[in-house]
Amino acid sequence: MTGPIHQVVIVGGGTAGWLSACLVAARRPDLSVTLVEAPNIPTIGVGEGTWPTMRETLATIGISETEFLSACDASFKQGSRFDGWVDGSAGDSYLHPFSPPPASDMRDLLAAWRASGSGTPFAAAMSPQHAACAHHLAPRQRSMPDYAAALNYGYHLDAGKFAALLARHATTRLGVTHIAGEVVGIVTAQDGDIAALELKDQSSVSGDLFIDCSGQAALLIDKHCKVDWVDRSDVSFNNRALAVQVPVDSDAPIAAQTIGTAHRAGWLWDIALPTRRGIGCVYASEFLSDREAEEVLRDYVRTKVSSLAADRLNIRQLSFKTGHRAKFWERNCVAIGLSAGFIEPLEASAIVLIELSLKALVDNFPTRRDVMDIHAARFNELFRYRWDRIVDFLKLHYVLSRRDEPYWRAQRVPETIPEQLKQQLAVWEDQPPSLWDLPRVEEMFSPASQQYVLYGMRPAKTPDAGPPSAAALSRLVEVREKARLITTALPTNRAYFTAAQSQTPAKVAPGDAIPK
Amino acid sequence: MSSHQILDPAQHADLRIHTGASARFGDNIMGCLTTPAEFRDVQASYPIVFRRDITSRKFSPLALFGFENGENLFLQGERWDARYRPMSQTIQPFLIGRPASESDIAQVHIDTASPRISTTGEGMRVFDEAGKPTPYLEAVATQLAELDEGYRQTPEFCDTLERLELLEPFSLEVPLKDGSRNSLVGYHIIAEERLSTLGGGDLGELQARGYLLPIFMAVASLSNFSDLVARKNAKLTLG
Repeated sequence: MTGPIHQVVIVGGGTAGWLSACLVAARRPDLSVTLVEAPNIPTIGVGEGTWPTMRETLATIGISETEFLSACDASFKQGSRFDGWVDGSAGDSYLHPFSPPPASDMRDLLAAWRASGSGTPFAAAMSPQHAACAHHLAPRQRSMPDYAAALNYGYHLDAGKFAALLARHATTRLGVTHIAGEVVGIVTAQDGDIAALELKDQSSVSGDLFIDCSGQAALLIDKHCKVDWVDRSDVSFNNRALAVQVPVDSDAPIAAQTIGTAHRAGWLWDIALPTRRGIGCVYASEFLSDREAEEVLRDYVRTKVSSLAADRLNIRQLSFKTGHRAKFWERNCVAIGLSAGFIEPLEASAIVLIELSLKALVDNFPTRRDVMDIHAARFNELFRYRWDRIVDFLKLHYVLSRRDEPYWRAQRVPETIPEQLKQQLAVWEDQPPSLWDLPRVEEMFSPASQQYVLYGMRPAKTPDAGPPSAAALSRLVEVREKARLITTALPTNRAYFTAAQSQTPAKVAPGDAIPK
Repeated sequence: MSSHQILDPAQHADLRIHTGASARFGDNIMGCLTTPAEFRDVQASYPIVFRRDITSRKFSPLALFGFENGENLFLQGERWDARYRPMSQTIQPFLIGRPASESDIAQVHIDTASPRISTTGEGMRVFDEAGKPTPYLEAVATQLAELDEGYRQTPEFCDTLERLELLEPFSLEVPLKDGSRNSLVGYHIIAEERLSTLGGGDLGELQARGYLLPIFMAVASLSNFSDLVARKNAKLTLG
């Protein structure tokens, strides 16, 4: 086959499927986009945290922020807070905010931070976002243009509602064809490409490029293409999660970041939306039984929400294999979303990987079949690299821990630590994380992210440096001043969403200028 | 109705102020008080005129935003379309209070009836959680002090202008695009001709008191009338 690529067919209608449909249709209106979705397949819905990239994604596909926030019961996410990861003692907590440290030499900034000597956490010294998170503040004012902000942010959202919004948008505004039907067979062309899907009602859907968004079922990339699975559970031990949703009072504060709380054999997520908190217990079945995990979850809900809520939990259990495909793009089939791979939701990599996959696909969309294999090879190399970086970065959170339970000790066994991460850790003894560690364009985890985790968990171990420069000291003074301005001007998340709700549709309050 | 209270960290701990521009915050006004000290900034956008108080017979300088009561041609929806807003506007709903008329101890008061007082949790915080002034209140306090000083100097400035016959009545007939006319009456402006013939002794006095600069700024400000007319015409065109 050497013809033009015109018909894109997506299998699966969760977050991955509908995001794929929206992004391909919005960026390439010349293509025909069809999404085939089996009726009555529930979405997994663990991906409820996004990265700041989602703002650009939504703007690209043409959804207003006001519409998105209200349709998805969404709130703002300004980073992740890690409680109990270092040693589990009282007050063991650090923040990984989305806004980076000042643009200045990190060695010098570290010296300035050390010199201040007041026990200020690294993130608080380096970013005004620490103060905003501590006060549950929104990263923006309603009078600001859509997606603009005083502080960098992504979202917490209801994944089911998000997929529904994307579906409406794709079919009513972007011209995507939606077919409700179960895929029961695949028609293969002579050259081995997928030619068409056979549906249960005996109709068929032909296409030039197929995107497999069928989740863990991996209908095309696994069942048809038989692409190998690369197991990563040797590094990343967690393989189970218990998830609950806990309703909250309409005046309860809305946390400004995801909270990840370590427990003896894993960690708990806590994601605050205006109407509920999504809470989940991630664990490794080798170290914790399901029954014990449920107790850990109930204890958390009892102490962090209420004992009443803890007695009324409707628990959903998920089990997962950690790993990814050996190839993500095989012939004319691209796997995006859970069909491509899965890893625990620490640092919320699921949705951002979907966005990055689509960016790579659409930026380099093959116009003809004969260049497709070249793009596929490049795509596979890039995403293999990205999966390695995700695995490394998540492992970093465990390797730096000093917790003493068997699970945590096992996490630090050298054989379980990837070679590149070991090398980074060795280099970071002498110099701060920098662009030299991960030198690619569009790395997933910036040096800032590595720094927030490294110095969040090991504040005492900074590379030797001389006295700080006056410039570095004044950078840190500027961070403190910015924090004062921001906490003056920004409303709390709760005030933001209450006011937004009372003024739907979008009639916003006039601007309260942040004083210069 | 206004209702003034002394600003107090305990009583106003969670107070937030809407600092944006909007008719619902009372910004639909045709002008506001200004002081000679800010004439330089004011004249960049607004005409400066003088109004004589009917009872006290004293003059006060005003920055003009429109031609009739309630008309602010700089207010575009929820945006104030000028680089500078006069301080008597930006300090609202705060004001300077003094416990006794002769006292020099100034206090920050707040008009608790102002529509700028937020009830939604949005707006600028006045005190932080430790009860310390926020950068916003610090900025307001600085402006209040400047404004207070400006208000104290204004009577003497205006008296001097009057004594030297440097104020003359002014009326403006503005023909508008739709054939109607707008007229502006009852204000005074700097008498330019008189100013140009002022003797050396008088000029020396104005110079010594620091009045020359604001006088010339007030003269220059009158060229903003053409901008004001253009804004009025644009509004008529848009309906």
